[in-house]
Amino acid sequence: MTMVQNPDAAALAGGVGSALNRAWPALARYGGPAVVYFVFTLLIGLPLALVLLQAVMPGLFAVDGATGLLSVEPLVSIFSSPSTAVSILHSLELGLLAAFTTTLLGGAFAVLVQRCDIPLRGAISAVPWLVFLTPSYLKALAWVLLMSSGGYLAQLGLLPPALGAGFFGLAGLVFVHTLSLFPLATFIIGSALAGLGSELEDAARLSGAGALRIWLRVNGPLLAPAIVLSFIATFAEVLSDFGLASTIARMSSFGVLTYGIYAAASDYPVDFPAAGAQALVLLALVLLVVVADRLLRRHADPHLISGRAKPARLYNLGAWRWLVLAAALTITFLALIMPLGAIAVRALTSTLGHGLEPGNFTLANVTAALSPYTAANEGLVRSLFYAGLTAIIASTLALLLSAQLDRSSPVMRTAVLGLSLGAVAIPGIVLGFGYILVWNRLPGFRDWPFPHYGDGSLLVMGYVAAALPYCLVVILSAIGQLAPSLTDAARLNGVGAVRRLLSVTLPLILLSVVTAFLLTFIRTVFELPMSQMLIPQSGPPAPTLILKLFSHDRDGLACAIALAAMAAAGGAAALVWYPLKRFVAPGLRRPRSNIASGEPS
Amino acid sequence: MTASLHCAGISKSLGGRAVLSDLDLAIKAGEVVSLLGPSGSGKTTLLRSIAGLVDPEKGTITLGDRVVWSEKAVVPPEKRRIGMVFQDYALWPHMTVAGNLSFGLRSQRLPEQEVATRVGHALEVTRLSPYRERYPAELSGGQQQRVAIARCLAARPALMLFDEPLSNLDAALREDMRIEMMELVRREAATVIYVTHDQAEAMAVSDRIAVMRDGRIAQFDTPRAIYERPADCFVAGFIGGFSVVPGMVRDGMFSVRGGGADSVRTPGAAPGEGMLVVRPEDACPADAHPGNRLQGKVLSSAFQGRCWRLAVELGPQRIRLDWPEAPPVGTPLAFSLPPERCIVLTA
Repeated sequence: MTMVQNPDAAALAGGVGSALNRAWPALARYGGPAVVYFVFTLLIGLPLALVLLQAVMPGLFAVDGATGLLSVEPLVSIFSSPSTAVSILHSLELGLLAAFTTTLLGGAFAVLVQRCDIPLRGAISAVPWLVFLTPSYLKALAWVLLMSSGGYLAQLGLLPPALGAGFFGLAGLVFVHTLSLFPLATFIIGSALAGLGSELEDAARLSGAGALRIWLRVNGPLLAPAIVLSFIATFAEVLSDFGLASTIARMSSFGVLTYGIYAAASDYPVDFPAAGAQALVLLALVLLVVVADRLLRRHADPHLISGRAKPARLYNLGAWRWLVLAAALTITFLALIMPLGAIAVRALTSTLGHGLEPGNFTLANVTAALSPYTAANEGLVRSLFYAGLTAIIASTLALLLSAQLDRSSPVMRTAVLGLSLGAVAIPGIVLGFGYILVWNRLPGFRDWPFPHYGDGSLLVMGYVAAALPYCLVVILSAIGQLAPSLTDAARLNGVGAVRRLLSVTLPLILLSVVTAFLLTFIRTVFELPMSQMLIPQSGPPAPTLILKLFSHDRDGLACAIALAAMAAAGGAAALVWYPLKRFVAPGLRRPRSNIASGEPS
Repeated sequence: MTASLHCAGISKSLGGRAVLSDLDLAIKAGEVVSLLGPSGSGKTTLLRSIAGLVDPEKGTITLGDRVVWSEKAVVPPEKRRIGMVFQDYALWPHMTVAGNLSFGLRSQRLPEQEVATRVGHALEVTRLSPYRERYPAELSGGQQQRVAIARCLAARPALMLFDEPLSNLDAALREDMRIEMMELVRREAATVIYVTHDQAEAMAVSDRIAVMRDGRIAQFDTPRAIYERPADCFVAGFIGGFSVVPGMVRDGMFSVRGGGADSVRTPGAAPGEGMLVVRPEDACPADAHPGNRLQGKVLSSAFQGRCWRLAVELGPQRIRLDWPEAPPVGTPLAFSLPPERCIVLTA
């Protein structure tokens, strides 16, 4: 029999000396939470804190004589600088407009795929996912290829010059953001729509209400919280976006906050105080959005929309369904097929100016991207390697943290879930800037535990920090779905903590862990802000390389790298996902049709 | 293999509310004891404390001759040798029936021969051998329940805990499974604690019943003793669907409060305010016990097979009676109660 001094420690402390026995309870009780907090502090908390400190202590990291004096000078100077003040206004203007159009388009798409009986519904409902997984800067670059004065649409005679000129500014940014972010609104409004079911609508119909009245008086008000949430979420996304900010917005001289931070921290002469002050403004705006989101969720009545509703009936649109199908296909074409097509065509042609002429087609770009020892190929391979490493570290770390949290108090679980959801909202560019401050300027960190700054390891660490909150949310929600009795039963059967995690918990949430792994992998291959901020000395990763080549008019090679990266990421994901789904534990699949219902004979 | 259990002075609060208050419970080896009580009475918390899944704040829990929980020393659940059949069965869905049974045994590093013997025996006694390679999702509810019991039996625990194991089954299957389950545990001579809020189930399975209320044990006795002599109004009201009627005892006679001149003889009842326990099946025709006659008005009737269950208005009170026929609603009904069955509890 093993008897120890504390319940949490009991399983592990058999036969240990009495001194350790006395120390073990504190270690077991506080060790787990301490590790969780340490990971969060090192990866997210410390960089963020330094960004905020830098904003109010401009001399903190000055190379010639650092001082810790408080000063509002950087904040005053950014508000008094016309260009920075304009970029703040631009960010807000763009955010509000794009949030409105995105919610409108995403909501309409959600109703269309969830409630309308249109042909190809299954295939069309996959479109938001594909759009969601395509990085925004690639879509932005594709639209530059399409809409520029010598671009594909102008060559085909489909682009009036006025429209082409108008694209490079607010209108174009709203247009591309809307097509890029509408999946987010579709997911949020779609899940509320699924929870709503059609029983309330049926009751309204039996009470004599017509379709319009039902949508205005029943479905509309019930979906209002989801619509507002979608607006808030897309607004925050646009504020934090760096992909369009560093492509279309930069080319149009339409300054926004995220690019301002990057420029202040990267362009010579670097101005850390200005970067810190702009980051503070951006964080304050994002924080306001997060608080609004929390307040709204608290006030939303959870009983109105429940998971108990039966799947909703589909509307039979009759002949109108062809028109609705045409609208859905148009969105698919604009959001997915045209941008990807433009990148593919550009990758397979010599020059943009000669467009689709047969003689312009070549494999030179793709060959350059795929040939070993070229800079393009090295960037591609580097990114795939970093992404794989990041996905392994982030999903493993998230699994271990989730398992630890699952045994922790509800307070701790709520705190970490809140931290993760909050961290999701932190703009990558701000976190990247924080990493520069910690690992380049904070005494003792530059060479700890090994020369880190300028090394690929710091970039991977930044990628992990950016991905960890997403992984935690995916894995924690999967663990939350498991009945606690499954692990309780294992404990009572004498199964230890490690074996419980590996043999009971992990097989049951394997698909979620792999989902977290693949999402991280795909996201990281194309992750832009961290890649731009923490370029390793060994060479740039693919996203940095793509933007650099694009700005140096080598857009063919940039598109070839993007195409190869998409093929590699998509192919690797398919290679992992489909075999796994096929061989997933048979007990987790749907029961066979011949379920034994009687007693054994 | 089987062991006695002794809980002394167990206290536990959740969210500032006392769920268990200085609770004592002693169970003999091989005994089957039910914890019976309404929702929130603390029965599941007590069960989980015994299992080690919840830590009490005070007291000691002793299994056999070893203390498994005290403020100073704790044996973790995986070392307590306690088996549990969960309300939702908690079968690991990614393991076959045989896998579910052998997983814990292998974790304890038992020799393969021993694992095979135990699994084979448990599957045989639960008549699950033909299903050993099936997954839980491929079994019916009753079969899943038997797998949960088989898993518990294969572990040969010192104590078996049942947490409302029949609540997920339909009414017809419940009774069959209850009989089969208790045959199994009796054959294995296991010490069992069985949590339920169903009085009939507790009566049927237990050697003794601990009726719980607000984190304490209101009465701990054999089913028959509790039925015959409930300790207080709560136990009387909770067990068996008895009616409890307030009134006054004077000179050995109980008169219903607000019930007119009728009174019944209650030998041995202390004078003063009291509560008369009326068991539905005790109702007799008025002339059977002429000195113990009461009169009420029929409010409703429901056919129950062997008799009719009447709701009868007795002054301001409403009581339940079993009656051989169904008088029309609103008609007066005269009935009598055997004096020796009339128990008066203190108010």
